[in-house]
Amino acid sequence: MARSKFLGTKINPSRFHKSQIKYLLILSPLVAFMALPLIYIFNVAFKPLEELFFYPPTFIVQRFTMSNFVRLFSVTGASGIPMSRYLFNSIIVTVLVLFFSVLISTMAGYALSKLNFKGKKLMNEINTVALMFVGIAVMIPRYLIVEKLGLIDNFFVHVLPYLAIPVGLFLVKQFIDQIPDELLDAARIDGARELQIYTKIILPLIRPAIATIVILSFQSVWNSADTSTVYINNDNLKTFAFYMNTLTSGTNGVAGQGMAAAASLIMFVPNFVIFLVMQSKVMDTMAHSGIK
Amino acid sequence: MRKKVLKRKTRETLVAWSFMSIWAIGFLMFTMIPIFTSLYYSLSDVVLSGEGIVVTFSGFDNYVQIFSSAEGFNFLRSVLDFSIEILFKVPIITVFAIIIAVLLNQKIKARGFFRAIYFLPVIIASGPVISQLINQGAATIPVIEELGFINFINETFTEGLARPIGNVFSELIVILWFSGVQILLFIAALQKIDTATYEAAMIDGAGVWESFWKITIPSLSNMVLVSVVFTIINLATFSENEAIQHIKTNMFALETGFGFSSAIAWLYFLVLAVILAVFFLLFKGFSKDRGRR
Repeated sequence: MARSKFLGTKINPSRFHKSQIKYLLILSPLVAFMALPLIYIFNVAFKPLEELFFYPPTFIVQRFTMSNFVRLFSVTGASGIPMSRYLFNSIIVTVLVLFFSVLISTMAGYALSKLNFKGKKLMNEINTVALMFVGIAVMIPRYLIVEKLGLIDNFFVHVLPYLAIPVGLFLVKQFIDQIPDELLDAARIDGARELQIYTKIILPLIRPAIATIVILSFQSVWNSADTSTVYINNDNLKTFAFYMNTLTSGTNGVAGQGMAAAASLIMFVPNFVIFLVMQSKVMDTMAHSGIK
Repeated sequence: MRKKVLKRKTRETLVAWSFMSIWAIGFLMFTMIPIFTSLYYSLSDVVLSGEGIVVTFSGFDNYVQIFSSAEGFNFLRSVLDFSIEILFKVPIITVFAIIIAVLLNQKIKARGFFRAIYFLPVIIASGPVISQLINQGAATIPVIEELGFINFINETFTEGLARPIGNVFSELIVILWFSGVQILLFIAALQKIDTATYEAAMIDGAGVWESFWKITIPSLSNMVLVSVVFTIINLATFSENEAIQHIKTNMFALETGFGFSSAIAWLYFLVLAVILAVFFLLFKGFSKDRGRR
């Protein structure tokens, strides 16, 4: 079918056909732009110092070296706490945030999208408005609340503020909106309760949205050094991102640049792994969900 | 004992709020209350001292200061630049995302790979990676400057317009990196379109071009608004954004402090709300138009 150009296709074609060339011609060159930062971040970390300041800057490393990493790890933190401790904290925090933020935002998204109740419209609007507010501007008020709740130097302060993020709910709701009401009505007629509808219909259908949220919130949690800086004084409870920051911020100037590159590669690799694991689910979108 | 039967409506509300409750509590505690506290701070003189935070109500002093001090002017200029830039960036991102989404929805070889690559910037466009890229100048296209394109812009437009427009062009790659989620949203919407609609149109003699404009675009129109909202918010809260840098640096600055910083944050918020409202009205008309046909 030569004319079926904008059709929603459901099968990943295994064969190559002449008619695909025009699409590949447009898509392929742009792939280079999209992959550019990835290539850059991997290359810059292995560059020797003098190569970092070449002008014009080069993308691909010319003389491969591990010296940035060696130097990074020779600078030990002032506290004397082993790196594994920070890493462990970060992993626990990230897992907790991912699990609970997905649970909470999908439940709220289901209610906001598919249930009728007083205050629904208002809640939707409040959420959209709150999206626009710059997070950094509420730092001090948020600190006061955390202090009042007695959460300073409590491990859970890494987790709690990240659980109800407006962006997550906004995206989840858009995906739940795509599910036809008829499907839910049919389930209700068959006697399903709301909780069953949520677990048996909504959750399986919005897996791509969940995968997206996981990728996005993994990033914001894993990379965040702010909670450690602001709410935590006890070095035992700080996170890996904070540790990486202290390593690189102590040394300024030329040597610092190479170390910063190495540190950001180390921070970036888990992001990339999560992306690789989750992306196939993201890109499935609604294709296999049986709905159109 | 008489069994108490709740009205259907009351029951629905109860169920809905039990789904919402945890989120609502968290949202109230860590987002809503802090936002309103910062509104109060923006109307106050906030001093951070050893004993704690001293807040004295000062009316609109902070807001007056925005329009009368050097820091305030710098902030206003970056907000103005940002507003002009966003008028260009939002359409660029939206159109780019639609085109890529349509292409990625075709039957092509290695579709999974292409989709992954186009979604990849999502993990790069926030976090420490992007700030490093921008700092090292790896995010601009040198060709644009070398070919005298920036000079051309500078000569054609007035100074106030030339700067933001020049920025848009030299940051073209960065702009494209911000379209990952939008592409995803459009692909999801595209897959919702019933293939039978296209077949029916084809039988009626509609060509590919007509199908695209009469079926694909109208089906996407709801998602366009969602994607526009997401784009504006994503750009506005991007950590390398100049306006946000102002909020950050003034927070602990001696002459200005947190009260002033809250005030500029609120002003920024209001500007964003206006921008969002403008786009909203624009696209509301657009969707209605499409709906009537």
